Amino acid sequence: MKKQVAAFLLMTATLGSVGGLARADQQMTPAEHRRLFLKGAELWPVYCNQCHNARPPSEKAPVEWNAIIMHMRTLGNIPPDDAQALLEYLKSGH
Amino acid sequence: MRTIRFLVITGMIMSLAIFTEASRVLAQDLGASDAATLKEIQREMREMRAERKRDRELIQKLEAKVDGLEKGSAKTQATTEQLKTTDEKLQATTAALQQTTAQVKTLQAKVDQPIPAPDFSEAFNRYLGSHTFEITGAAAGNFIYDQQSGALNDLHHASQNSFFFDWEPMILYRPADWILFEGVFDAGFGSTGTGMDLSIADFQLFLNKYMTLVAGLYDQPFGDWYENQSPMWVNRFITAPLPFGNEAIVPPSELGLQLRGGMQWGTLGQDFDYTVWGGNGPNFSEAVPGAALSGPTSAASAQSNGKSIGARLRIYPLPLEWEMGRLELGASTYNGKWMNGNWFNSWGVDFNYFKDNLQARGEWIESYRQMPNGVPTDHREGWYVQAGYFLNDVNAPFVPRQVNDYIHRLEPLIRYSGVNQHAVATDDIVAATGVGLGGTQIGLVPDFGINGSPALYAPHSREVALGLDYWIAPSIVWQNEFDIELPHAGGVFVSSTGAQTPAGAIPNDRAFLSQFTIGF
Repeated sequence: MKKQVAAFLLMTATLGSVGGLARADQQMTPAEHRRLFLKGAELWPVYCNQCHNARPPSEKAPVEWNAIIMHMRTLGNIPPDDAQALLEYLKSGH
Repeated sequence: MRTIRFLVITGMIMSLAIFTEASRVLAQDLGASDAATLKEIQREMREMRAERKRDRELIQKLEAKVDGLEKGSAKTQATTEQLKTTDEKLQATTAALQQTTAQVKTLQAKVDQPIPAPDFSEAFNRYLGSHTFEITGAAAGNFIYDQQSGALNDLHHASQNSFFFDWEPMILYRPADWILFEGVFDAGFGSTGTGMDLSIADFQLFLNKYMTLVAGLYDQPFGDWYENQSPMWVNRFITAPLPFGNEAIVPPSELGLQLRGGMQWGTLGQDFDYTVWGGNGPNFSEAVPGAALSGPTSAASAQSNGKSIGARLRIYPLPLEWEMGRLELGASTYNGKWMNGNWFNSWGVDFNYFKDNLQARGEWIESYRQMPNGVPTDHREGWYVQAGYFLNDVNAPFVPRQVNDYIHRLEPLIRYSGVNQHAVATDDIVAATGVGLGGTQIGLVPDFGINGSPALYAPHSREVALGLDYWIAPSIVWQNEFDIELPHAGGVFVSSTGAQTPAGAIPNDRAFLSQFTIGF
């Protein structure tokens, strides 16, 4: 049983890693950027304030938001599309 | 013009010659008989001479005019040549200007074209590199005064006051967009002097949209408190609610694996998330009822009967478009064998509601620990409920605007929390007390996040906490908390040998805490 669980986790991790790398190569169109920005602007005051005061986009550099949103996506179990929208908003609002 | 003049003169000479010859021939033919006719001829000749003279004068005038015209034409031609040269230069300049204008237009178009910020940020990211190293976290300094008005289990008591400082840097390292390392240190000056602890150290692998694998040392994903509310700048209060303080109902952290994720199940805002995990499992300071839960690192060496398993589900039922705020409802469970096949089981429910300036949250937790040697199950339960309201929109009448500006930064808070358990281990209380100069116990000592009240160690502890936060910035706050300890009677104190002593009277204490916190 333990071996089966370990094999499952290993397989999932491998597939997930490939998927993650593929995501990194995707390029968004300006329209998609705009859609995510607007969605992020709507989510930001609600999702962030639910646990703590929402930090303004200007508090961090865009490159810093990359890491912080990854951290918050895990901690808050934020749906990936919502996390992406928050990231676009926070980076664009800098 | 010279050619014309030559032809005119030649023609006139030839006409005169022809006319003279004709007169001579005519005179020979007629003779001198007709004098009248000769005179007429002579008169005509004189007229012709006069006419020739006028013609000559006219020619001379014409020649003068022609000369003038020729001179004027030369000037005109020179001017024309100059104009032509100037025109050519102008055309060349115009062409160059047009080219420059086109280049300027192209550049202007590029400048005027809005550069999407994500593109800019991505370019900035590429400039910095693909790896991101981020340091965030919080730091705080505080002052705690605790009025210890009575004894607890024959321990010395004395009112306490002290300053503390704590620094909790969080390091995030992002090698790629599918993996993140997170580490949190806890360094500070507490009741035992300067100390340092590793709170979190884990890898987060984003397997796909709905699955994230976390491996390492992490906050217990049970309920909301440990994971989401424990950071100093996030916690609205200075202290933790009683079930998450020194008498924790579930272990505060775990060493193992998590699988977690979230998804939208309805319209925007209607989400669902899950977390399942396993790890080293729970461990207790002693095998007596009421013993304190210990950390997962000690469990790594002391625990020998299987690992823990846990699960948490949360749902967010309110769509954003309803503008009714955001409500979270959650349920958690955490289970594991803590010693020789004896199980520790726990479950809890929690809620969190946020709308505009209002925030409320609460949790209920229960745990059951099977005891060895026929000792009854160690049953514990704990809860808290709290609410806070930002005074952003409150304008006090008859006060200056500056005063209202201060009021707008205030957030009054209230929290009620409690723990019910049959027993508390005496050794745990002694371990929490300080020893002063000369080896004299000076009473229950506060520490960072704990007011030090003896009442916190009562089997049936209760606490009302009143808070007033002054928010300087979204992550910079001056917090003030007044704790009222209202323990209920009942329960026992248990020694390490299992001897039980009724808890008896527990003093009602008061404590005041003030803390300046910066989240960075």
